[in-house]
Amino acid sequence: MTGREAAAQRRALVCVAPTVLALGALTVYPGIWVLWLSLQHRIPIFDVSRFAGLENYAFLAVDSRFWSAAHTTAIFTLGSVALEVTLGVTAALAIHTVRRGRRLALSLLLLAWAMPAVVAAKLFEWLYHPAAGLINVALGRYSINWLGDPAAALPAVILADVWRTMPFVAILCYARLLAIPADVYEAAQVDGAGRLATLTRITLPLLGRILLLAALFRTLDALRAFDIMFVLTGGGPAGTTETLTVYAYRALFQTLQLGFGSALSVVVFLLVMAVAWAYLKILRTGAVAA
Amino acid sequence: MSVALRRAAWPLVLTVWLLALGGCGAGQESGPVTLVFKYARILGNADPLPELLRAFEAAHPGVRVKGEALPWASDDQHQFYVINLEGRSPGFDVMMLDCIWVSEFARAGWLLDLTSHLEPDELAPNFPSAVASATYGGRVWALPWNFNVGLLYYRADLLAKYGLRPPETYEELVEQVRRIRAGERDPALDGYVWQGKQYEGLVVNVLEAFWANGARLLADDGTVFPEPARAADALRFLRGLIVTGVSPAWTTAADEELSRRAFGDGHAIFLRNWPYAMDLFDGQGSAVRGKVAFAPLPGRARGEPGAGSTGGAHLGVSRRSRYPELALALARHLTSEKAQRAIALGAALSPTRQALYRDPDMVRHHPAMPRLQTLALAGRPRPVTPYYLLLSATVQPEFSAALVGVKPPERAIADAGARLAYFLRAVR
Repeated sequence: MTGREAAAQRRALVCVAPTVLALGALTVYPGIWVLWLSLQHRIPIFDVSRFAGLENYAFLAVDSRFWSAAHTTAIFTLGSVALEVTLGVTAALAIHTVRRGRRLALSLLLLAWAMPAVVAAKLFEWLYHPAAGLINVALGRYSINWLGDPAAALPAVILADVWRTMPFVAILCYARLLAIPADVYEAAQVDGAGRLATLTRITLPLLGRILLLAALFRTLDALRAFDIMFVLTGGGPAGTTETLTVYAYRALFQTLQLGFGSALSVVVFLLVMAVAWAYLKILRTGAVAA
Repeated sequence: MSVALRRAAWPLVLTVWLLALGGCGAGQESGPVTLVFKYARILGNADPLPELLRAFEAAHPGVRVKGEALPWASDDQHQFYVINLEGRSPGFDVMMLDCIWVSEFARAGWLLDLTSHLEPDELAPNFPSAVASATYGGRVWALPWNFNVGLLYYRADLLAKYGLRPPETYEELVEQVRRIRAGERDPALDGYVWQGKQYEGLVVNVLEAFWANGARLLADDGTVFPEPARAADALRFLRGLIVTGVSPAWTTAADEELSRRAFGDGHAIFLRNWPYAMDLFDGQGSAVRGKVAFAPLPGRARGEPGAGSTGGAHLGVSRRSRYPELALALARHLTSEKAQRAIALGAALSPTRQALYRDPDMVRHHPAMPRLQTLALAGRPRPVTPYYLLLSATVQPEFSAALVGVKPPERAIADAGARLAYFLRAVR
């Protein structure tokens, strides 16, 4: 190593140190603390603080509410991400194809995306209102008990989430579409590719990587989803819309069971990490073309 | 960041620091005493609180009272208190407390023990159940401020039309709903609406059904669900109301306001709700003005008479208040008969002091007051325990599961019991 290289390395270390320190203080330290808390029975307001070993985790393994929340989280994630990606790509293609109204469509999409989740949830609370809600008024005799029926509540929550976050996928895809050079399409035309072939052989493969990224972001968000169901249903009916984070919130902030709540948080954390790792693995192996 | 920019940034950072330090110093030492009062905004014709706070300031020269609003929802208020009190920040002196929190906060050591500061019998003019929920471990931790009790509202005009008296049992209520709906032939007219959404209100409604059926959530010795079969039967009855259409399907998503609006628009015969709704039903422009009356909640045939769940708010003094005497004086001032009268007249909150229910001036404004007193006296409190929130949050999804029919009531009770056993073993 030459002197210059060593100096450059030192400078790099100095530059990266604040980030590492900040991450350590704000992420690693609290993370380890949560892990430690999860091994205890700890409820500070009742002066409960004693080591519990893996008791909290053992209870989770047989806790039907935990498994129901895990199930809800899985369905919510799969359902909302699948719909968001499908609708997002469709919307992006539509906007890319049309000549007029493009700016209007983009502004409307951004409006939905820019709306805070709590506001969107309140909006849907009125839309789903059993008697006065727009949706049930439109359905007339076939009105649905949206937020009170265990079979309808989770789809209703997913729909609200899709409405709010589909634009994120759409805008990402649209940006990628703009970056595809026109000569690629011209070449396809020369080769005699029809519309369908162009879509399946050129456009979608070229969208692949950005779609995977969008799906990664959305999946991680959906796994930690909280605000939309918290406002719309509070987790009900029968806990059918209670995700793991809502359960963790109830334990941590409502009943102040810091130990048990931390065990729940650790599970959510591991879940998110595993999914993120799987996505990154796919991205790295280059299974999807750029 | 460029060098020039970095140089420019330093004075800015320094200024911010100095401002922050100055800000910290300001409120601490000199100047007049400031008391902070945390409360939820009171709705009604006119918010009487600002005037009450000014009156206190006039009587205590050199003291300023700052009223600070709490978040709207009870759960958010609880969370606000817990974070601030556990974090040991003495940001307030007097605090409005939902009656179900008093034992918890007292147990946690956040409230000033008021017992030795009170005159003998100072709380006697209040409803006994209000005093009971302000008491924990034989000591008094808060002063009763306003009172709530579950009521059965009914459409007096419809019942009179069919020659019916308000039902004394739920079985009678079901029969009356059948008769009236058969006669009215109005598909938009629902029978009995109540609160079945998965939240605290559901626990209140289920408890009332429990009590009517001779079941409890918590026994005095700490046993959870001491009468499991009767509790399951009560849940099955509530589920039956929805299955048979006596209560609309959306009951499982209904909170106080949703059900109050349906009844207030004239779309229901019976409603379970708190006293605040009466003023709204009798208000100008109400579709049911002059057509509504209230009765005690029904009991069950061959069961116990019905009892409404009691609720309401108390005022407590933070143990970290720097001016405990003044804070207590403020709490006394706000819970005095004069203040409770002003609040009852200006807002739709019922007093805890019984004399006001017979007061001629009050009765002229609210003719139903004497009757409300009778029902309030018959009301039952939710379990008074420091673990109430743990209890409630744990049973909510199970009760909801039984109501929407995804779990047999017996299993819902058993599952809730098992989870509570694990949690309570940790705290006891």
